[in-house]
Amino acid sequence: MLRVLRLAWLTSVRQPGRTSIGVLGVVAVGALLFDMLLLSRGLVLSFRDLLDRAGFDVRVLATDAAPFTGPRIVEADAVAAAIAALPQVEAVVPVSIREADIVSETAASQPPGRVQFIAADPQARPMWTLVDGRDLSAGAGANPPLVVNRTVADRLSLSPGSTLTLRGACGPDGSVLPPVAFAIVGVAGFPFDDAAAQTVAGRLSDIGRLCEGGMELGVDMLLVRSNQREGAGRAAAAIQALLPPLHVVTNEELVERFSRVQFSYFRQISFVLATVTLFFGFLLITVLLTASVNQRLGEIAALRAVGLSRTRVVAGVLCESVMMVGAGAILAVPVGLVLSVWLDDILRALPGIPSDVHFFVFEGRTLVAYTWLLGAASVGAALYPMRIVATLPIAATLRREVVG
Amino acid sequence: MTQPPIVEARHVSRVFPMAAAPVTALSDVSIRIEAGEYVAVVGPSGCGKSTLLHILGCVDVPTSGDVLVQDRNVGSLSDAERSRLRLREIGFVFQRFFLLPMLTAWENVELPQAEAGVARLDRRRRTAELLEYVGLASRAAHRPSELSGGEMQRVAIARALANRPRLLLADEPTGELDQRTGGHIITLLDRLHEDGTAVVVVTHDVAVAACAHRLLTMRDGQIVEGSS
Ligand SMILES: Nc1ncnc2c1ncn2[C@@H]1O[C@H](COP(=O)(O)OP(=O)(O)O)[C@@H](O)[C@H]1O
Ligand SMILES: [Mg+2]
Repeated sequence: MLRVLRLAWLTSVRQPGRTSIGVLGVVAVGALLFDMLLLSRGLVLSFRDLLDRAGFDVRVLATDAAPFTGPRIVEADAVAAAIAALPQVEAVVPVSIREADIVSETAASQPPGRVQFIAADPQARPMWTLVDGRDLSAGAGANPPLVVNRTVADRLSLSPGSTLTLRGACGPDGSVLPPVAFAIVGVAGFPFDDAAAQTVAGRLSDIGRLCEGGMELGVDMLLVRSNQREGAGRAAAAIQALLPPLHVVTNEELVERFSRVQFSYFRQISFVLATVTLFFGFLLITVLLTASVNQRLGEIAALRAVGLSRTRVVAGVLCESVMMVGAGAILAVPVGLVLSVWLDDILRALPGIPSDVHFFVFEGRTLVAYTWLLGAASVGAALYPMRIVATLPIAATLRREVVG
Repeated sequence: MTQPPIVEARHVSRVFPMAAAPVTALSDVSIRIEAGEYVAVVGPSGCGKSTLLHILGCVDVPTSGDVLVQDRNVGSLSDAERSRLRLREIGFVFQRFFLLPMLTAWENVELPQAEAGVARLDRRRRTAELLEYVGLASRAAHRPSELSGGEMQRVAIARALANRPRLLLADEPTGELDQRTGGHIITLLDRLHEDGTAVVVVTHDVAVAACAHRLLTMRDGQIVEGSS
């Protein structure tokens, strides 16, 4: 075996030009293939990570309409209490989202912006990540507390201790509601924000000040954290059994649904591109190996005449292929990683994409799939030249080499 | 008749099916090569000398007739078995040497031994002995591109002898060499024969033919003189 490898190695380095072209080709093909594999599941993984990061694994909605578009859950307090009482459930947080307009204090110079107002109970673990100041639970004296995201803070030059006045954009028929002054207590990052998003978070009870009706209109969603020993699946089942009309969905199911519908484009694109790429790599190696073998027919026939077995010379060709593809494949990984960072930046610059979403995400099985695909390609690419060697007529070839 | 012949062809014909008309390269050839014989095959170009050598050397099979190597019918052997037979019993020397260019002289000679599973130490001893035998001990580390034609052919002979074959087949071994270097090869073949290896050499070279103890003359795919 070692001898076969050594001979294949020497044969490869003997034709440095041909081998370099082959390896470079595989680097290009491999890098692209690697990226397509990262892309095929990247969004799903990234999305799952985002969902999990909020710290809740089950969502309860009034219907299966997309969150924040459908009807709300009424009597949320009672519902939340009932769910919280389940042994499979560790915590329940009612969440609502409303829109509100910034009431500018510096008058006309600032165009009035609109913010997303996330309302959630302060005692729960927040869905956002505090980067400055304190959280809602800290309280704020006279004015109700508010956490703002970096965009809002930067744009309005706000910091903990400042005041922000909002006017709810949630009145019936666009009627103008009274402004409410909030005390900024902290600055935080929100998982689903894109670069331009203006998001703030306040207490659930303060929705009542911002919007007419407030809590009586119900909440948009209940975020549930399952008891760790039970898991999301059982918690969801228990909630569904307790409250059949509600729509209960685990993160797992949400990711699954997204990957089946919305994210499937990326899977399809990456599948098509990966297939085409792999096919080109396959052709390149086949052509190079075939040319190399054809150049050496006399030598190969002589080796056969000297007594090397057919298996032995065929294995030599296979080794050459695997070496060429292997070398390219290894070099392609860092190239692919760099390329994926670059492509990721391009895609993430699309408007409306949450800043924390990534299109290219690495996981262990990417490497496994990559190795398998290129391994199969190296064997596939060697098939034709292997066949040439296997069926080589020794006597006729020797004769042709001398006469020709 | 105590020892079987090393190789025997019985009524062997070889026809190449060609588009225009089939070419009969050998027709009804019978020949026995006994152990230790020194045979030269001569005849005009295209009369079937190489074809006969290939069939005796088990790299080609006859269209009809039988080839026996030490009483074993080659026709009934698998490709792998024929490979082993060539590896251990038959040495081949070609007009164009066909050494592996990326291996040194030493490695070229070692290759068939490694293939035959000879232990490393024995291989080393045998290779050194062979390169000494062909007078190239000092060129062991050289690649074919660094050797002259005559030297390459001597390495090729050392390679052919690597596994101590009982039969050496050489197809115009001096065909690409000048007279003087060709002379070295002839001397080498002579010595080989003296050391007990049967030699069959196809040649146009009268000097080579003169050394042989038996001369086969071929014409139009048949042995017209010297068959026995
Ligand atoms: N593989 C082959 N295909 C077709 N014809 C062949 C082949 N090998 C040999 N021949 C024909 O058989 C005849 C004998 O060839 P060969 O044995 O090479 O002659 P020699 O070695 O005596 O010059 C020639 O006419 C040659 O054209
Ligand atoms: Mg010939």
